[in-house]
Amino acid sequence: MTHQSSVPALAAEGLGKRYGHAWGLRDCTFSVPAGSIVGLVGPNGAGKTTLLALTVGLLAPTEGEISVFGSPSRANTADTLARVSYLAQDHPLYRGFTVADMFRFGRSLNPSWDSGLAEARMASLGIPLRAKVKALSGGQQAQVALTMALAKRAPVLALDEPVASLDPLARLDFMRDVVAASAETGLTVIMASHVIAELERLCDWLLVVAGGRLQLTGAVDDLLAGHAVLTVPRRTPDGDVPGSTIDRTDSERHSTLLVAANPEQVAVAASQPGWAAEPAGFEQLVLGYLRRPPVTMAMAGQARTAGTAVAS
Amino acid sequence: MIWVTWRQHRVQAFAMLAVFAFIAIYGVALGVWARSAFNADGLPACLAHSGGADCGATITSFFSRFNRGATLPLTLLLFVIPGFLGAVVGGPLLGAELERGTWQLAWSQTVPRGRWLAAKLGLVSTALVVFGASITAIMTWAWGPLDAVSIRLQPPPFNFEGISLTCALLCAFGLALLAGLLLRNTIGAMVAGYFAWEVPFVVGTLLTGPLQFMTTTVRIPCAGAACAAASTNSTPPVTGHLGDFVTSVVRSGNELIVSYVPADRFWPMQFLVGGMYLAVAVVAIGTAVWLLHRRTT
Repeated sequence: MTHQSSVPALAAEGLGKRYGHAWGLRDCTFSVPAGSIVGLVGPNGAGKTTLLALTVGLLAPTEGEISVFGSPSRANTADTLARVSYLAQDHPLYRGFTVADMFRFGRSLNPSWDSGLAEARMASLGIPLRAKVKALSGGQQAQVALTMALAKRAPVLALDEPVASLDPLARLDFMRDVVAASAETGLTVIMASHVIAELERLCDWLLVVAGGRLQLTGAVDDLLAGHAVLTVPRRTPDGDVPGSTIDRTDSERHSTLLVAANPEQVAVAASQPGWAAEPAGFEQLVLGYLRRPPVTMAMAGQARTAGTAVAS
Repeated sequence: MIWVTWRQHRVQAFAMLAVFAFIAIYGVALGVWARSAFNADGLPACLAHSGGADCGATITSFFSRFNRGATLPLTLLLFVIPGFLGAVVGGPLLGAELERGTWQLAWSQTVPRGRWLAAKLGLVSTALVVFGASITAIMTWAWGPLDAVSIRLQPPPFNFEGISLTCALLCAFGLALLAGLLLRNTIGAMVAGYFAWEVPFVVGTLLTGPLQFMTTTVRIPCAGAACAAASTNSTPPVTGHLGDFVTSVVRSGNELIVSYVPADRFWPMQFLVGGMYLAVAVVAIGTAVWLLHRRTT
């Protein structure tokens, strides 16, 4: 499936969702190019599942909108539902169904269902079609659920904690198949996960949410280039450090800061006596933004421009 | 959706078939036996001859055949079947999806949840109507000889003839469906649906039993011993018309003041009680559809 590269696969504009009086997600604005594998990171209750449900069309936004390949997602419409495959947390399946029943269910409810893909995947995984879902291992169930999502042939695949309940080997197999599907068909994948190491290995785009707000978004390479870890003398004020300080650890002799700043500024600063700089790692970057108290829209805008300014 | 609905509800469909088979066998046996007893007791000739007026003793002895538990298991079963089966079919429809999280699978396919629910409701309620109508047909036939000489205006026959059984079934189905959406639990939805159904069921039973509400009063002249013997239990009824439901007889000189429900009120009462069940069902299902739609906002 090919799409014009100029049209983002996912684009949110002021996206927000309120539950009663509390906002589950607010002021979300981002844009993700087609074919990306997007890591969606955040603490529990940060709004990850809300963002995915809004993307899929299971929920309608309270404000703003999210578009999939240029068309706004409309909850409960066939158009929107057809554009995004969703694999919910704990990969729900009908336990009493056989694998073949699950696929027939998929075929009945999806005009673009790809039976060939579904059966070929089961054959290559050695999962018999006549096996009951409840008789399969957790890893096999996850694979059946992934196959359902892939056989729907939607250009975007949304995964909510897809490997949380799987053992390490099943995780590897599952994620390998997601990446392969993305590489083969140009599928755009958005995946919520707590496993940062996994995301570092797979993702080329990052969305960090905390407290219902977007903290960071961008291409992983650009984000890493736009941040640095500075080791500075203890009690150096944030104001003396280039760029904006995202996270700070003060130890007895010196302070370690994660800063969003361009490499030239960082290089100049690091030449001062007692200062040292090293590139930011993926995990440091994610944890830094997760640790930072949730920021307002204006501040989030600054953080984003800090990230993108360096990239250009 | 037809296959999906069938695959997800086939266990209930088989349970309904089993119940249907049991009632069909019991009902046909009862009907055959009642017909032979009806003929053996000479009721056809008596009714043709006197229009029922002289058949009191014959009718009483014919009826006594059915008093010793021959019909009791069937009529008790028919009392609970609509609530029970309606709840068993309605409870899981949304309750199981919400309980097991499979709603996220079902409603993220290309069919929007409104159409998904409409298809399921259409197919399942059609199956329930066919089931209810079939039971009603069999039981109406089986009970025919008893109806010919007795009162259809009160339970048990009122509950399984006409439209009341089918409407009661749909009522329990709708209540259990709504309970499933609210409780997000299959068993809880079945239990709650059944007990919620007891409310309209008790109202319907009271209306057609103790609280007869479509009564008419007439004054009937009488003489001597006939006056003294007249009671609500007289066979045939003091109104002289088999099938009338006499609720009170008061003697006033040479007259009886009789309150009764004429036999031809059967259908108005059916529509009233059936309509009450249907109204509850429509409100419950409508609420479920609305809540389901609202969940996305």
